[in-house]
Amino acid sequence: MKSIMLGARRRDPFVFHSFFEMGLDESASPFLNKRGREISKNISFKAALCAALLLVASLFVEGHLSSIILSSVYLIVGIPFLINAIEDIFFHRDINIDVLMTLAAFSSYFLNAAFEGGLLLVLFALSGSLESLVTLRAKKALSLVHHLAPQKALLITGEGEYQERAVEDVPVGATLFVRTGELVPLDSVIVEGLALLSFAHVTGESVPVGKQKGDEVVAGARVLEGNLVIKVTHKSAESQVAKIISLITEAQHRKPKIERWFDQFGRYYAMSIIAISVCATLFFTLVMHLPLLGSSGALYRSLAFLITASPCALILAVPTAYLSALAIAAKKGIVLKGGFVFDAIEKCSLVAFDKTGTLTEGSFQLAHIEKVTESNWTEEEILSMAASLERYAVHPFAKALLDEAEGLPLYSAKSVEVIPGQGVEGFLQYQGKGLEAYIGTPDGRELTVEAKGLLEKRRHTGKIVGLFEVGEAKVFISFEDKPREYIKQMTEGLFQRGKKMVMLTGDHRKNAEKVAREVGIFEVYADLKPEDKLQKIEELSKKEGLLMCGDGINDAPALSRATVGVSMGTIASGAAKEVADCIFLHDHIEELQWLFDKAAMTKKIVRQNLCIALIAMVGGSLPAIMGFIPLWLAVILHEGGTVLVGLNAMRLLRQ
Amino acid sequence: MKQNEQPAHFKGKDALSHVVEVQAKGKLATTEIHGAETPGSMFAAFDAAKDVSITLFLLLIFLYFFDFTREHTFAIFKAFAGGFLFWKFARATWIAWSRLERLHRVVEEEQTEIQENREQERDELRALYRAKGFEGKLLEDVVDVLMADGDRLLREMLQEELGFYLEENEHPLLQGLGASVGAFIAAFCVYVGFQFFHYYGAAFFAFLVIGVASVWPSVREKNRAVKALLWNCSFAFFSSVIVYQLLQYMLST
Repeated sequence: MKSIMLGARRRDPFVFHSFFEMGLDESASPFLNKRGREISKNISFKAALCAALLLVASLFVEGHLSSIILSSVYLIVGIPFLINAIEDIFFHRDINIDVLMTLAAFSSYFLNAAFEGGLLLVLFALSGSLESLVTLRAKKALSLVHHLAPQKALLITGEGEYQERAVEDVPVGATLFVRTGELVPLDSVIVEGLALLSFAHVTGESVPVGKQKGDEVVAGARVLEGNLVIKVTHKSAESQVAKIISLITEAQHRKPKIERWFDQFGRYYAMSIIAISVCATLFFTLVMHLPLLGSSGALYRSLAFLITASPCALILAVPTAYLSALAIAAKKGIVLKGGFVFDAIEKCSLVAFDKTGTLTEGSFQLAHIEKVTESNWTEEEILSMAASLERYAVHPFAKALLDEAEGLPLYSAKSVEVIPGQGVEGFLQYQGKGLEAYIGTPDGRELTVEAKGLLEKRRHTGKIVGLFEVGEAKVFISFEDKPREYIKQMTEGLFQRGKKMVMLTGDHRKNAEKVAREVGIFEVYADLKPEDKLQKIEELSKKEGLLMCGDGINDAPALSRATVGVSMGTIASGAAKEVADCIFLHDHIEELQWLFDKAAMTKKIVRQNLCIALIAMVGGSLPAIMGFIPLWLAVILHEGGTVLVGLNAMRLLRQ
Repeated sequence: MKQNEQPAHFKGKDALSHVVEVQAKGKLATTEIHGAETPGSMFAAFDAAKDVSITLFLLLIFLYFFDFTREHTFAIFKAFAGGFLFWKFARATWIAWSRLERLHRVVEEEQTEIQENREQERDELRALYRAKGFEGKLLEDVVDVLMADGDRLLREMLQEELGFYLEENEHPLLQGLGASVGAFIAAFCVYVGFQFFHYYGAAFFAFLVIGVASVWPSVREKNRAVKALLWNCSFAFFSSVIVYQLLQYMLST
């Protein structure tokens, strides 16, 4: 392949991804130098702080200088709001909270209450910048998922040449070459080669899987061993990884019911408040004969009412909380299909687990060594010889075998060949002789009927069986899946949180009960086919909120029927991905406790925010219209509530 | 759509004409309002210094024709200088920010073109590198390599097609700060000149500032310093003559 170097650069090239992912934010601008980008970080917050300092400074000087300083406050934080307000009214035909606030602030300026108006603008700017801060941090956290997707592919042209191409430029049907250590660039089918692939990158599945000609491979899988020639089956935009990324992006826009209601409410409410203020001014002037201007005038009271009744805090209360929670979950590798999932999780009191791959981790332990044919070798000698051959492989069974054989002598081997997805072949140097040996999958090897029967029997008990052949001897080496590391602590944690747990599995009762005992689950439903699982889920979820954790395509129907479906590392399984409400991008199921806590905290914070906002609104607006609250206090009440709500929501960003 | 049927993107032109047009657009987008100088706080400072010194000197010529007391003249001078200083700061910041906004819009448009009109972008790259002397298979290889990496492609299009400099610009606020420093120094010099040597002092310092602010950037940009000095001082002198003579003429009639 030709390698062409274009324009060697002095430093690392600028990465545009983050600039676009952050919505063309100036702090990631490709044109500004490093110092410029630093200055741009949280610039709206810095401007608000600068305006706040100027506002305070205006208190210490008198007369014209004070007016200049106050005007500068209006310039720094007022003009941006005025621009938005004018654009909202004339271009978007929308009267919203920003319009309300800008109207109130600039009216104050002309009512000889420039300081109060300035205070309103500064606090409004501070709360706005806090909201931007939360949104930007959330966007940054969510943008990390884009790194899941491979960007380039090595195309094999009709002339047999290799050309690097962007995945977007690779058509369906194109032939690609993937080397050891590389990511599969697009969903494809293998046309040549054998390889051991890890899906941990995209599915969280820790056990590498052997793939060969005719097998399908998904974009994002990493080739651990072997080289592949693959034919593309889906365009980059339709790949499983691309779908997951779009799911995450869409999740930001899928709003909980309460948030959708507030979106509608905000507009009508703003118009109503303006109308009430105008009516109140007319009423005080014409009926109660109050003066129009002055600090005890009708306009002053209406303005105080306008400010305190503005629902900024109420509007911010819900979305900031859900967005913060979604962002921190995404940062932990947990993707939720919208803020409403937190509400649903909070309602779940029953947790159902699939067994294999969910409660167990696929980190295998040696279970049995069983001779299929007669031989004089002891179990220890067999283990020693098997480990001697298996040390050339990277499969997790090899690790289990080598762990077990620790301290035993290992023999040298010659002509060793690793067959990806199959096993290892070679000649073991045992007592001066070269013995032909094989260790790997029994599938495709010559076995007697009895041996096949034994193999089926072992497999039936949930064990993974490997075949070791040395000389004429054949031995089955069984491995069993062990429970995940922190699973016991997790079940204890969930129990302490008052959650009931059940296990639903297709495995035999005996095996299922053994695992359930180990992990601390007392209610087990075993021998379930996918349709039985679905029926059981329907039955259980009728009584109470049910969260179902599953890991495979067979769990998809059950995941869809549960109150909340949690898909454990099953991103590659299209069906499970579509139906689950929550996807763990890793296999740390113990994070379920964290998820329950975060859901509870989100609900708590939403409630707290709503209370703060309502108290500030109702508690301020009624006395304001009666003339008991001066303008400055109205501003403090209103903006204090908004800032508090923003800060409270940011607590959810803590891990 | 077939590869060669993209009049919508090329607007009826061939790839090279399109590239030339876009390069002109890029040059315009990167240009500062006060000329084609390298953007930066230093240049903003020199530019503001020249503006402020000549404006204040013209103001002093104006005040000379009216019977203001010395105190009043100073008060008017200081108030005007304060307002103008802020204007220079705000204007320089605003220009730099508008320019940045314009550049961001252009880069977004380029990104959209790369994502949606990949074949046309490939043609543009081909035209660009053909103009640089690449031909045949080597040309195709270069284009393939560039097209393979989205980030690299965008960078290449911005630098080669639009002529942008990446990661070179200072923050707009720093440019504004530079302008206000330049404006302040100029105002202070003219003020000191006027304080101690009256109108001749103000004239001397105003022209000194204009001279220094013209020579320094031209030396940095390796332009002819004498040419810059004489032209800028001549412009300033001619402006002063216009104000002085016109005022004399209008007030006498």
